[in-house]
Amino acid sequence: MTNKKIVGVTACSAGIAHTYMAAESLEKAGEEKGYDIKIETQGSIGVENALTQEEIEQADVVILAVEINIDMSRFFGKRVLRVRASEAMKNAQGVIETALEKAEPYGEKGTKAGGVKMGKTEEGGFFQHIMAGISYMIPMVIASGLILAIANVAAFQRDAAGRIVNWGFDDSTIFGELMSNLFSVGQVGFTLMIPLFAGFVANSIAGKPAIAAAMIGAYIANDAEMLGADAGGGFLAAILVAFLVGYLVRLLKKIPYPKLIQPIVPIMLIPLVSTLFISIIVIYVLGNPIAGLMSSLYEGLTVLSENYAAAPVIIGVVIGAMVGFDLGGPVNKTALIFGTAVFTDTVTKYGIEGANFVPQTATQAAISVAPLGIWLASIIFKKKFSATEKVSANSAFGMGIVGVTEGAIPFAAQDPVRMIPAFVAGSAVAGGLATGLGTKFYGGIGSPLGTFIGYIEQPIPFVTWIFSVMTGVLVTALIIGFTKKRVD
Amino acid sequence: MMDNMFSLDNITFNSDATTKDEALKFIGHFAQEREIVKSEKAFYKGLKKREKEVTTGFKDGIAIPHCKNKTVLNPSVMVVKFTNPIEWESMDGKPVKLAFSLAIPEGENQQHLKVLSTISRALIDDAFTSAILNTNDKEEIYNLIKEKIVMEDN
Repeated sequence: MTNKKIVGVTACSAGIAHTYMAAESLEKAGEEKGYDIKIETQGSIGVENALTQEEIEQADVVILAVEINIDMSRFFGKRVLRVRASEAMKNAQGVIETALEKAEPYGEKGTKAGGVKMGKTEEGGFFQHIMAGISYMIPMVIASGLILAIANVAAFQRDAAGRIVNWGFDDSTIFGELMSNLFSVGQVGFTLMIPLFAGFVANSIAGKPAIAAAMIGAYIANDAEMLGADAGGGFLAAILVAFLVGYLVRLLKKIPYPKLIQPIVPIMLIPLVSTLFISIIVIYVLGNPIAGLMSSLYEGLTVLSENYAAAPVIIGVVIGAMVGFDLGGPVNKTALIFGTAVFTDTVTKYGIEGANFVPQTATQAAISVAPLGIWLASIIFKKKFSATEKVSANSAFGMGIVGVTEGAIPFAAQDPVRMIPAFVAGSAVAGGLATGLGTKFYGGIGSPLGTFIGYIEQPIPFVTWIFSVMTGVLVTALIIGFTKKRVD
Repeated sequence: MMDNMFSLDNITFNSDATTKDEALKFIGHFAQEREIVKSEKAFYKGLKKREKEVTTGFKDGIAIPHCKNKTVLNPSVMVVKFTNPIEWESMDGKPVKLAFSLAIPEGENQQHLKVLSTISRALIDDAFTSAILNTNDKEEIYNLIKEKIVMEDN
């Protein structure tokens, strides 16, 4: 622990006694420990023993024992501990140790400088952490989403007449096998993206010790099998996990650990305790509600579909709304499963003539609405999207156009309050229009292109389907455009 | 430099103050007596104001009441040893037995301030403070302080 470089500034209101006593105390305590320490005094004499920029840069930590406001700009980005001058006089040793262990980088958002908070204050907390997570997640969403999209296009097997007869990969050809593999690659990305996001949200809240627990917790929360549900919790569960872990780790960091075990606290103790905690919570507390939510939604849909068989538009709206709600989470998955189940059940029972296409048609009409809506909004309302958001929006288009709804997740996670209602509304419109207009989705991709790549029976060929989906997309885009704030 | 700021006569053992307020009043009075300040009342108020910002009670029975005030005629150091221990809200909670009082005029020159800062720094040295606390010989106190300042100056 020797050869640590410490710099500091002392200053008090009179600049006569405390300034120098604090400086002397810190220097003495630092030298006793064998640290390389230099303290600048800002007293009535003026600045003495001034720190050079080079010394500040080389320092491990900056200690400010000041009772007046001093120029902080020199210390931007350095780890800084600010205490009262009297504190440095009373317990210089303690101040130095605290500084080495706990000083926080100055100038980051939320840093307190003389009572003034740096950066955004009001939106700080929640969204700042979410944004941090998203910035790490986006590259993975884009890479895996586009790979998945490419593979998806190749997954539609046609008969001699060019109709889609099956969804899946033809492993007997080299091309089919490659596409099948690419599909798996994309799925790996989607599996990793949820824990990655949670890990970095938690990292933003509580630093490195929180990453392990948040990633493991979010993975479990998104793993249907471990939860005992039919689908994982998706990104909404990931947000919940990340915040639980983040604030738990913050608490754990506050415990005064005995000196002996301090070195293993951040690398072993906190990760272990928090991972155990969140895993138990997710498996035993989160799993049941998700499974329960899904089965009650499923039952609700069954009741709806039995009672309102004559009003497909109602079912279409409800199912569309569900698809747009959590983009791959339990609500979305329930709708998809229900759609497929109703279709396959009725096909087996009554044959294709008597099959119930309504729920499945609604899910497929709605599934591309969120990512395409985002993309359209970014085209119409250019000023409301930052450069990074535009890149994400373009990749959302790539995913949306082949029916991958997850392309919209970064936007939903970043701004759930505005985005989710927009997605739900647009998806409901698309679902309601498609079913209300009597469209029957046999197979293909759930996007406007489905009418070409797929087989959809509709009153006016091509037009009805495209009109239904694109109206939903437009609704989503307009709501986003009118609610989203301008980017400065 | 040192000589006109600090002399044997700036050391006194004659305070029977029992409270911080009485001690500060005594220092004001002593400062006027020594012709360090024009008005003892103004100096007392200055000291009091400084205490209000943050206590000057240090540790191991030492306080450093000080202020910068236009009533101060000559920058000076006074040493007051109290007969009664005085509650001073010091850092270690111990009552104060000895005060190093610093008087600074407005717009004082750098060299005087430098001496005062040297004395402040010297108080961090445990050997120095305990030597002063453990003697009742004014001459010894004077020499200890002078030595420290000369040493630091070089």
